[in-house]
Amino acid sequence: MRRSIAVLGMMLWAGLVQAQTMRPFETFRQNHGETRLGARVEYAAGNLRLLPGQADELYRMELSYDEDRYVPVSDFNNQTGAVLLGLKPAGQGGVRVVSRSQLSQQATVALSPAVDLSLDLTLGAVNADVELGGLRVNNLHLRTGASRTILRFSQPNAVRCELAAISAGAAEVSLMGLGNSRCDEVEFEGGMGRVLLDFAGQWTSSSRVEVKMAMGELTLRLPRRIGLRITMDRFLSSFEAAGLIRRDNAFQSPNYQSSTRHLDLDLTTAMGGVNVEWLD
Amino acid sequence: MSAYKRLLGILALLTLAGGHPLRAEIPVDGITSRAADLVDHMLGLITGFTQPERRHQPQSQVRPQEIATGGTTVDLSNLSQPTLIEDRLGSALNQSSGQLRITIPGGGARRGDFSLGSSETRSGHLLVLDGTADIYGHLTGNLVTIRGDVVVHPGGVVGGDVLTLGGRVRDEGGEIGGEVRTLRSTTLLSPATRPEPAPLSAWQSVLRRTAGVLGVFLALTLLGFGLVMFGRQNLEIVSDTVSHSFGRAFVTGLLGQILLLPTFGMLVVGLILSVAGILLLPFAIAVFALLVVIGVVGGYLAVAHAMGETYTRRRMAMGTLVGSPNSYRYLLVGLVALSSLWVAWALFGWVPIAGSIVWGAAFFASWLLGTAGFGAALLSRAGIKENFAGRLLPPEALTDEYLWATPQFGVPAGRKPGTRTPSRGL
Repeated sequence: MRRSIAVLGMMLWAGLVQAQTMRPFETFRQNHGETRLGARVEYAAGNLRLLPGQADELYRMELSYDEDRYVPVSDFNNQTGAVLLGLKPAGQGGVRVVSRSQLSQQATVALSPAVDLSLDLTLGAVNADVELGGLRVNNLHLRTGASRTILRFSQPNAVRCELAAISAGAAEVSLMGLGNSRCDEVEFEGGMGRVLLDFAGQWTSSSRVEVKMAMGELTLRLPRRIGLRITMDRFLSSFEAAGLIRRDNAFQSPNYQSSTRHLDLDLTTAMGGVNVEWLD
Repeated sequence: MSAYKRLLGILALLTLAGGHPLRAEIPVDGITSRAADLVDHMLGLITGFTQPERRHQPQSQVRPQEIATGGTTVDLSNLSQPTLIEDRLGSALNQSSGQLRITIPGGGARRGDFSLGSSETRSGHLLVLDGTADIYGHLTGNLVTIRGDVVVHPGGVVGGDVLTLGGRVRDEGGEIGGEVRTLRSTTLLSPATRPEPAPLSAWQSVLRRTAGVLGVFLALTLLGFGLVMFGRQNLEIVSDTVSHSFGRAFVTGLLGQILLLPTFGMLVVGLILSVAGILLLPFAIAVFALLVVIGVVGGYLAVAHAMGETYTRRRMAMGTLVGSPNSYRYLLVGLVALSSLWVAWALFGWVPIAGSIVWGAAFFASWLLGTAGFGAALLSRAGIKENFAGRLLPPEALTDEYLWATPQFGVPAGRKPGTRTPSRGL
């Protein structure tokens, strides 16, 4: 009986092992003195890690992908200095439902910290960890579908960022260290899900942030040391304005006038809660 | 003793045949292939190699040579879609019979190791097949290697992109002007290096199929035991329906198979037309598929149960002492009986013609009994209705004592000479 069970177990295991064919793919480009790079990353499904790479390489991507459903994309345009990296569906695409351990499409994208970067991320059903600290991000566009995304500025952005535009569908999005992003403007548009906007960081410049949430929970982590002003347009949303002073249609921190760095937050929410956590 | 000798004889025959490749091979069906692959892998582990590994070993012994132009044209000017290039190269290599010919517009192709000297400049794109490309000099175009590495040495320059299919790129201080792409594995093989698929030996063939049959047997046994444990009443009613109304069950099963698709179509159309039913469509499809699977598998298990019960009761009638005549035993005996033809196929399927005949017989018998089982499941509404189960007597009379040796309603047990034992369709 035990032998039968063992044989049966081995057969089941063999079936699982053969259920998915993963294929490794690698691409990179040497840095030949380029000063800027437009990087577009389109990643349909799986796990994605984006981080700063080596200065002598413009970019590098290492992939392990399901060759039955996806094809790798890596295309650099010499004229525009833009690269398209990622995975696109091969015909039917979709997510293969086998087991959690087998949904293991993995991608690691490393971008040069030596060039000015215009970054455009389009993510599908993706578990993404994006580390932008230490890069030179000029522009950031992030579109996510049903994903879980953590975007971090662990170190200050090496250059001034004009705009960070993030749009999320049914997603769990955490934007960490926005105070290091040095973005003049941050636009966040969320459908439904849970969103964390963490404004920790060095705050070397002021910033204007516009947040539009349809449904879901929004958590704002705000530093006390900067001048804060929140303008709200809400329908069925709750908001706890502890520590803020109401002035006209806005909530303002007591030090708003005296601060050299300002965060102007424009919130539009339909349904859901807005939580405020203070960073000391 | 004679059986033992016969077995030894068969084993000796198999051993003799085992060393020779079998050309008249019956393809292994999908059900057994996974288990068979597992057996292959295990054999590979024991013998120290597996076929896939052997297939992907680099061919370093290939004599370096220029590949003649002609044959299929493959454009290497755009390597941004490596899998597309791989497909094109694959079709080009597959079309080459005999001498390999390939045309690279604005470039050339080579086979075997290739080295570009430090004082050399080569213009155009380059394809290197089955060898390493060592770049010391200047290559102006794109470089593609199949089953070989690219090494760019200090001072070496590749002006365009680099793509390796089944190899690696080693940048040892050279310059690569374009993009580097690496697909570390490839299924591409040049015609000369493409190995003949190794024919299976008789032993391998027997092992593969036996593993497959054993796997199916175990799966059905486990399912059957689960069914006995949780749905014994239903299983027995379906089983009795098979026993007592075999012909009717078979015809019903046949009709059921024919009407399966139309019924499914009507269900889908009906739900779509009823507008509100559209919401139920995915659920209904899943339930329908589940019911069909339950009907077929459950019916097949009921047939096994009926066969096992009949056999066991016959043995008991002949005075053999049977340890525990219960549904578990019936099912196991029945499944062994049903598997016997497939076991015969597993053992002798490699024999030309006879193997095909055994396979056909096993398939036909399985289909016949599966159809009867499916029909019995339909007739008895999955073991809810006893109309065709031959249970005309009240349940309290359906004891083993009654069924076997006792005439109806309490007359003392005893087999009178000349009287017929109630047979339950034996």
